[in-house]
This record gives sequence, structure tokens and C-alpha cells, in this order.
Amino acid sequence: MSRVDLTPVAKPPTARPQGELRRFIQRFAEDRVALVGFGLLVLIILVAVLAPVIAPQNPYDLGKVDIMDSRQPPGVKAGDGFTMWLGSDGVGRDLVSGILYGLRISLMVGVISGVLAATLGLFLGLTAAYMGGRVETLIMRIVDLQLSLPSVLVALILVALLGKGVDKIILALVVVQWAYYARTVRGSALVERRKEYVEAARSLGLSHARTVFKHILPNCLAPVIVIATVQTAHAISLEATLSFLGVGLPQTEPSLGVLIANGFQYMLSGKYWISFFPGLALLLTIVAINLVGDRLRDVLNPRLEK
Amino acid sequence: MDKNSTIAYRQATTWRGVSFAVAAILAGTSPLALQAQELKIAMSSEPSSADPHYHNLTPNNQVVRHVFEPLVFQDEFQAIGPGLAANWKIIDDVTWEFKLRANVKFHDGSPLTVEDVIFSLNRVPNVPKSPAPKTAYVRGKTIEKVDDLTFRVKTAKPEALMLNHLANIEIMSAKAAATATTEDINAGKGNIGTGPYQFVEFVPGDRFVVKRNDAYWGQKQPWAKVTFKFIKSDPTRVAALLSGDVDVIETVPTADAQRLSKEPKVTVSSALSNRLVYLHMDRYRAETPFVKGKDGAQIKNPFHDLKVRQALTKAINRPAIIDRIMEGEAVPASQMLPDSYAGTSKKLKPTAYDLDGAKKLLAEAGFPNGFKLTIVGPNGRYTNDTKIIEAVAQMFTRAGIETAVETLPPAVFFSRASSGGPDKQPEFSMILAGWSAGTGEPSDSLKSLLGTYDTKLGRGSANRGRYSNPAMDAVLDKALATVDFDKRSAMLAEASEIAMNDIGLIPLHYQKNSWAAKKGLKVTARTDEYTLAMSVKP
Repeated sequence: MSRVDLTPVAKPPTARPQGELRRFIQRFAEDRVALVGFGLLVLIILVAVLAPVIAPQNPYDLGKVDIMDSRQPPGVKAGDGFTMWLGSDGVGRDLVSGILYGLRISLMVGVISGVLAATLGLFLGLTAAYMGGRVETLIMRIVDLQLSLPSVLVALILVALLGKGVDKIILALVVVQWAYYARTVRGSALVERRKEYVEAARSLGLSHARTVFKHILPNCLAPVIVIATVQTAHAISLEATLSFLGVGLPQTEPSLGVLIANGFQYMLSGKYWISFFPGLALLLTIVAINLVGDRLRDVLNPRLEK
Repeated sequence: MDKNSTIAYRQATTWRGVSFAVAAILAGTSPLALQAQELKIAMSSEPSSADPHYHNLTPNNQVVRHVFEPLVFQDEFQAIGPGLAANWKIIDDVTWEFKLRANVKFHDGSPLTVEDVIFSLNRVPNVPKSPAPKTAYVRGKTIEKVDDLTFRVKTAKPEALMLNHLANIEIMSAKAAATATTEDINAGKGNIGTGPYQFVEFVPGDRFVVKRNDAYWGQKQPWAKVTFKFIKSDPTRVAALLSGDVDVIETVPTADAQRLSKEPKVTVSSALSNRLVYLHMDRYRAETPFVKGKDGAQIKNPFHDLKVRQALTKAINRPAIIDRIMEGEAVPASQMLPDSYAGTSKKLKPTAYDLDGAKKLLAEAGFPNGFKLTIVGPNGRYTNDTKIIEAVAQMFTRAGIETAVETLPPAVFFSRASSGGPDKQPEFSMILAGWSAGTGEPSDSLKSLLGTYDTKLGRGSANRGRYSNPAMDAVLDKALATVDFDKRSAMLAEASEIAMNDIGLIPLHYQKNSWAAKKGLKVTARTDEYTLAMSVKP
């Protein structure tokens, strides 16, 4: 980073010294509930990543799933010999395996769509704030339009047009989410743009791109991190909603939403477990992410600093 | 409903309450006390119109059947009997003479005459914007009036299914409906029939209401008013019955059928339906897009090989699907209709599950390692359709055919399955679909699903696999021109055997239709899936 040394004045003021990360972790850990949420989230991510190793059945392999095992209550042994601790669904899928693999898909869809939407939103939001004028008006009106429509509706229309599949769901989720990032980052960037260090960078003749991404962006990240956690939880529940409505992921590779939808028709006949356990897994995931997100907001917000 | 009739209705309600109380004191729950009640029926799908000739669709046909009647009735087993026509005779191969029932009056008081019959048969092909007209039922038929109550129908060539066709044509009043459009009829203008109930209102998305016709020529009905509510969601429909919002529900979800039959407040009745659920295979392309080799390379279409088709049908464990997916609400299928129907073959039996046999046949056909296949089907058109496809995919995968499943919303599925490919040809390689035989015998199913595709002859209209077998076509054509019932039935059985032994399609099961009603009501189950207030007795 020899070039940064040439421009000491333009060094972003929040570039953290070594001890700051530790202080951040300490502050985060002060809240016991957030810590529990964080632990839960780590656990969920771990089991999702390790699903192929720990799941008793590969629920995507139709040669392994047997309809003779269908609709079994929790604790019954499957034809293959293992015990289905959470029972099985209407086509004989073991629910423990289904939930583990479902978590994988749900988290993957949530995280990938979040990262893509954040990238797109950050780029457009920063461009709008930095360029101003017509570019800003155009981008921000599109954002307004996007935010004025219910996200489920937009996603439903997109998926109906694009068709089924993981890639299409991710695309639809990116389209409904980028506007949140764009609006948030534009707000922070507008403030940062007028600060002296930006002026200094400009007066040294740095390019627009370098000024925006090296100097303004790092100072706008705190609110984006908070938005990112909330939006990831939102994306996961939106994916579940779409799958529940039958336009999401394919039946044979079920996400949590598909599993819940599959059990819905059995609710009245007393076979609660088909919907209940995947629903519980979805609930815990979203609660864990939200707890972490809430705490991040508190820690990163300078106004709440003690 | 205007003000006066509202008052009259209220008075009637009060009087009904009094009479009910008195009757209850005198005789417990006598049938008389129940006579003035309202009946509420929940339908699982919604009619698109109240115009009887607008759309040939089961929910439409079933609601308009309360208001309008055909010349010929079909009973709960779809057996033919006299309707508005009291009797008929065959003059020669192409001429039938019908005699109308005397003293039948329309709801506006005018008598039924031959003019009304002529008007109705002429109206059928001329309903504007009809999505599925009943034109096929009147094609090639001309009517001659003999006297006010007698007429003759002449056909271009011998028409074996004359009575089955006429059973699908509702007779409207020429006087009332002469200028009425479909919109008028939906709004109640010109909605005048001879049926046991009179039209009250049709609210799309919500309900269809009729009231008793007190001047009805036939058996007097027990219900003063009948409301059909449209409740598509299965659990909601069951909940509506259990909470007492409705008295009868149709299409009892299989997941709830067993529990409901144990419920003390509810009675369940079911009948084997005329609906076959089957798999259709691509038989017209040399290479078919949804079949690939195990390595993902395009291979020749395996479905042209009889051994592959035999392997597929042997790989399916029909009793398992019925037990685990349909929860007993279906019967294994061997042909187009259950063999209790006329024209079916007694020799055809459902293929037994034989996994090793299937693997052996696949190896003999040159696919020892199987291939990759995607089955496509509708989600939500037939009972448990998605799960049936998943179960079949499991079974095919066990036999070595690595099978994927794709389900689509029904409207999208049917348009792509019929004409989504190049040149408006069927798109998919294997589909799941269902077919209900409206005529109550197999000629219609054989002609539509397995007849060589020919738009001019109206043959193969739903043949989404483009199966073609000239031997079957020849026997079927001969049967359709044979007026003698027994001879025709034998020919239809022969045509069924030719097509099924050649595995033109893979039959899975015949659906059962079931109804649930609150205790005390008796619902006569019908094979044609119609839910009629006339079938509900207190």
C-alpha cells in the first residue's frame, strides 16, 4: 500500500487500529441474547455445510427415498434401517435429512442473493450519491418504484416469467433486494462525500473510481452490514414463501419452504410433523440471524456508543 | 333479490323456524321438518359461467344441471335413461325419433316444445368466445320436427353415441334465451330451464345459488335453496365442513378421508370415477429432449421400443402408490376405464410390479444402465399429482432410469404439453395427465388419447404422445359406426386391448371421487364427479 503513504491526508478516519476489532467483539459479547443467537447461527451453518456427512439419507436421491416410508411419525424406523427422528413427509423423505439439506439450500439462496444484491446496490447507491444530478434522479426513482411494490409480488411475477430453479430464485431475490442496499448506502455516501478527506483525495488527482471505492465506501459499510443481516433473513423467508406458493424450488430438491408446503395438506389430519419441524428450523434460522443483526446495529451505531 | 322477495324470504324463514320447532316437538326430526332447509355445498373448483353451452367443463356442467336438463339423463353410474325425452326409437341407421315428455314447463311457465330443442341444438356451436364448446356433440346432426312433442334426428353417418351426446346438451327456452348472450345468462337474464331448481345468482369467485322449482315435473326436491360455494384450498374446504359453514364438500382430500370417516359428525361416500391418471410418452420424435444418456449426451428416443415401455409399466408399483400416496382413494388401472363400464376389456389386468423383470427388459432393449428422464406434470390438477410423479420417479430410478421431476401450474403445463414444442407439437418426453370419460364408455378416451393425431377427423385431440396404431384406429372407427350396443362394446374392448398391449400409454390408477357431508345427509356418489343437490337427501 505504498501509494496510500503518499496521501496520508486522505486516509479514511475510521481505519481501525488493531485493538478495535477486539473492542468490537467485546462489545458484541456484552449482550447474552445476541451471543446465543450467534452460537445458534454458527451451529445452523455448520450442520447445513456438513449435511451430506451427517444426514442419514440423501433426500435428493430418488433411489433412496421410498414411498413405503411415507407419512411416518417421529421415531419410526425407515425401510433402510435408520430411525427417522422427526418422521417422514408425504413421499417418504426423512425429515431430519430433508431439513438439513433444506437449510443448505435456504442459507445458500439467502447468502448468495444477499451478496449479489449488496454488490449491485452498493455500486448503484455510491454512483448515485457521487455523481448526483440526472444519474442520481434516475437511480433513486427506480429505487422508489422498486420499494413501493410488495417484494413478494415482484418476486412472484419474476419467478412466473423466468421459471423454476435455484438460479432463477436467486435472480428474483436480487431484483427485490438491491434497492434496500442502494438507498442505505446512498444516504451515508451523501454525508461522506462532503467531508474534507474526500476533497483532499480529489485534489490530489485520484480517479473517481478510486475515490469512491477506496475512500467513501469503507466509511459507508457499517449500516450496510446491518442491512445485510436483515436482508439475508428476509431473503430466506421470501424464498420459503415462494416455495410454499409452489413457484419456488423444485419438489425433488426441497428447501424449507417446499417441506412446509408439502406438510400443509396434512395439517388437519393430525400429521403435524411434516410442516412443524421444517417450520421450526426456518424460525430458528431467521431468529438467529435477526439477533445477530440487532446486536450489530447497536454496536456499529456511534450514537448508541457509551 | 328485491325488497318484497326479501320480506317473503324472511317470513318463510320465520315460518320455517316455527314449523321446525313444532315438528321437532311432535316427531323428532321428521323429513318434513327438514324440507324447507337450505343446503350449502363447497365445490373444489369454480365454474366459468352459468351459460350451459359456454364451456364444457365439469364444474360448469354440474351447476347448470340444476337449472337446465338434457333430453337424456345419465344416472350415478352414467347409465342412460329418459330425461326430457320420454322415449325414443331407431328408425334406421342414421335416423332416431324422440318423443318429448308432455307437461314439462320452463321456469317462466311456458311449455317445453320441439322448438326449444331445435333452438338449443342450434345454439351450441354458436356461442361466441367459448373456450371449450360442446360442438362435437351436435356435429353432423340435423333435426326435423314431426309434431310439437316429436322430432327426428338425422346424422350424416351412423352415430353410435347419439344418446351419450344428447345427455350433454342442456335444453334452454327458445323464447327466453333467443337473444341472451353469455353475459346476460350469467346475470340471470334468459337463464330459464326446466330443471328442479331455478337460477338465483352467480357470483364469480364466490358462489352459485339456486332455489327450488315448485312446479317441477319430476320428483320434488327437499331443499328450498342451494348455495354452491367455491373453496379451492383442500384444508379450508374440510375446515368449512367441520365448522358447519357448509353441509357437503366435494373432492375430499385423500389426506383427510380416513380421519373424516372416523369423525362422528360426518359421513363420507365415495365412488370409483371415470377418471384415469396415466403417463404419456413421446412417440413422434426420433430423439426426445427430456431423455438423455447417463453421460448427458442425446440418445435415440427409447419409447419407440416396446420392451422399454413394458419395462416402465412393470417398474411401477401401483398398489404402493394407491396405499401410500392416494391413501386408498384409487384403484389400479389397466385400460381407459374401470372394467365395470361397457366397452372395456375383461382380459386386461393392471401390470404387476416386477422390478427385476423391468431391469431385464431394459437390458434386452439395449439400456443395461438405463438413461436419464424428466417427467413433467401439473401441480394441483389431479389428486396428489405432484406426489404421484415423485413416486413414479422413485420407482423408475430404482429400475435404473435416473428420473427428475418437473411440475408446472396446470394452465402452463397443458399448453406446453399440447403445443409447446417446435411446430406447435407436444413439448415434453413423458407427462402425467388424467382423462375423464364423459360419455361413460371408452370410445371417447381411445379416440382422444390414443387415436392417430388428425385435426380434420377430430381424432387424437389430447394425444400428447402422438401414439399411432392404424389397427386400433380401424377397429375404433368401425365401433363408432356401429349402432348395436353389444357389437359396439365388443369392438371397443378389442380396440382397448390393441392399444394397451402395445402400451400406447401407461395407465396408473382410476381416481375415486369422494364426498363428505354432515351427519344425517345422504350423498349418492356419482362416477362422473358431478356434485348435485339432487344427489343429497336428508
